[in-house]
Amino acid sequence: MNLAIFIEQILNGLITGSMYALIGSGIALVYGTMKVLNLAHGEFYMLGGYFTWYLAVSLGINPAIAIPAAVAIAFCLGMLIQKLTVEYLILRDNWAFTTIAATMGLSIILQNAALLVFGANFNTVPSYVSGVMVLGDIRISWQRVLIFVVALATIGFMTWLLKYTRLGWSIRATSQDRDAAQVVGIPVKRVYMICFGLAAALGALAAAMLAPINAINPWSGMPVLLKGFVVVVLGGLGSFPGAIIGGLLLGVVEAVGVQLTSSEWRDVISFTLMIAVIWWRPWGLFGKK
Amino acid sequence: MFKPLTQKSWAGIGAALALALVLPLITRDPYVMHVMVLVMIFAIFASAWNLVTGFGGLKTFGHHAFFGLGAYGSALLALNLGLSPWITLWLGGLIAAAAGLLIGTPILRIRSMPHVAIVTLGFAEIVRICIANFSGLTRGEMGLWGIPQFEGFTLPGIGKVTFSPADKVSFYYLALALLVLMMVVIVRLMRSKTGLAMLAMRDGEDAAESLGVNLTRMKLMVFGLSAFIVGVAGAFYAHYLLILTPASAVGVDLMISIIAMVLVGGLGTFAGPLVGALVLTVLIELMRDLENYRLLGYGLLIVLIVMFLPRGLVTLRERLFPRPQE
Repeated sequence: MNLAIFIEQILNGLITGSMYALIGSGIALVYGTMKVLNLAHGEFYMLGGYFTWYLAVSLGINPAIAIPAAVAIAFCLGMLIQKLTVEYLILRDNWAFTTIAATMGLSIILQNAALLVFGANFNTVPSYVSGVMVLGDIRISWQRVLIFVVALATIGFMTWLLKYTRLGWSIRATSQDRDAAQVVGIPVKRVYMICFGLAAALGALAAAMLAPINAINPWSGMPVLLKGFVVVVLGGLGSFPGAIIGGLLLGVVEAVGVQLTSSEWRDVISFTLMIAVIWWRPWGLFGKK
Repeated sequence: MFKPLTQKSWAGIGAALALALVLPLITRDPYVMHVMVLVMIFAIFASAWNLVTGFGGLKTFGHHAFFGLGAYGSALLALNLGLSPWITLWLGGLIAAAAGLLIGTPILRIRSMPHVAIVTLGFAEIVRICIANFSGLTRGEMGLWGIPQFEGFTLPGIGKVTFSPADKVSFYYLALALLVLMMVVIVRLMRSKTGLAMLAMRDGEDAAESLGVNLTRMKLMVFGLSAFIVGVAGAFYAHYLLILTPASAVGVDLMISIIAMVLVGGLGTFAGPLVGALVLTVLIELMRDLENYRLLGYGLLIVLIVMFLPRGLVTLRERLFPRPQE
């Protein structure tokens, strides 16, 4: 195998992995604060893709405005859905199961609503930037470079948000101990709502950036959700930095795995990796027991 | 659950069984028979999922893997080795049970429900993709057809029993026999000491373990048994419809329907899965014209039931007319 092509595949894997990281970190954020496994997370990705497509292609708005708008809509939608369903369920007995079942139901509703509204077609968005970056023998399209830059910027922003803002302190306090956080005056319910919204926004952003490469259809969410699960299992469920590293790692492992086998086996490789990790280190590759 | 059955509940069981037995005498309409056979396949599947999830407390979301393994396993054995479907029906169940034990092993170490949900979902995806990718053997997305049918036999006193797509009545009785058999197994198990230990495990793992419940053996047993039952249901499905595709036999839609049925009927009850399978399947058939809204309806039902009637339809009477407190 040609070394340049191999390096190119690894770099592409890292770029795909950066998007997995955004998706996984949304799942980790919701699980970390609420201990809720959100099976509707893939649908935020799918809807984010549709919002971007609708604003940028159907209405012809400049992507620089359309993408933030799509992300903002997803943020509000995430908060609304949390307010209407999860907020009540987590107060009841047996919430660990009922929240999984309810978000599974939500995911089916959103999928089929998208099918009725947008149809079953595959919708693509033209590349935001054109051309190919050439570094010696390595060629990577600028679109992919842009994806990576946006992912890094988002991760930086989220890290700043969680570490240095009052909101971030509230989120981290709530995830450590809900009752104690409430005692010191943190509005736990509002924190939950904002976390759900942030997770939805992260998923939607990933979809918006990937839309020129991966066409969007009503069933785009499910495979993305499963990839997100692999990411959070690798990094330790509920850990934000774990999800970032897990995402990048998964991207590279998949790129190498596909080189060794073929692209049909990509998902089998990642799910097998995930089950193996759960078997040997259920707390994640980097987490503590 | 451990109360002795009252005369009323015996009468209920007897009436339901009698009604199921005489239904083909009332109508032999192939369409009605077909719907009822599907109801019973789903009822077996739903009861087995309920065994793990409702009674065992292991919340799995990947049982469609075992349905597909049973279906494809039995169909391929019958096709390639020329075995009779009467034998491969059980072999399909055993293949599914072996897979159940395999995937049950990592689950043993996990107490966190989300991890169990993720592992089982991922496993089902692996099974689906493998069946789709090994197209040399399974014909992949093209669909596996030409699956052998059950051979007919002569029953003394009744005459020749044949299994053909034109005559669904024999399939109906076979499905009914399987359903009754599986229900007897599940009810006997749950009303035994083992069943009591299983409920103890569901309600408090540490407490159950401290009282001598072998959690490892219990979890593997319930997972293997449930996978076996689902595998047999899948095998029957294969030799009934005679065509399989990865999406129809291992699709996540199938699992969603089963979850909806059990939640609608009542999780952790004997009658719930049966009621849910009957109500949802018949409801869907009545709304054939609204095919596009079918899954939307399932999703809404799951959310509404979970939020407003968390213990299902079979507890509706108690909710509407609560008994006076003694």
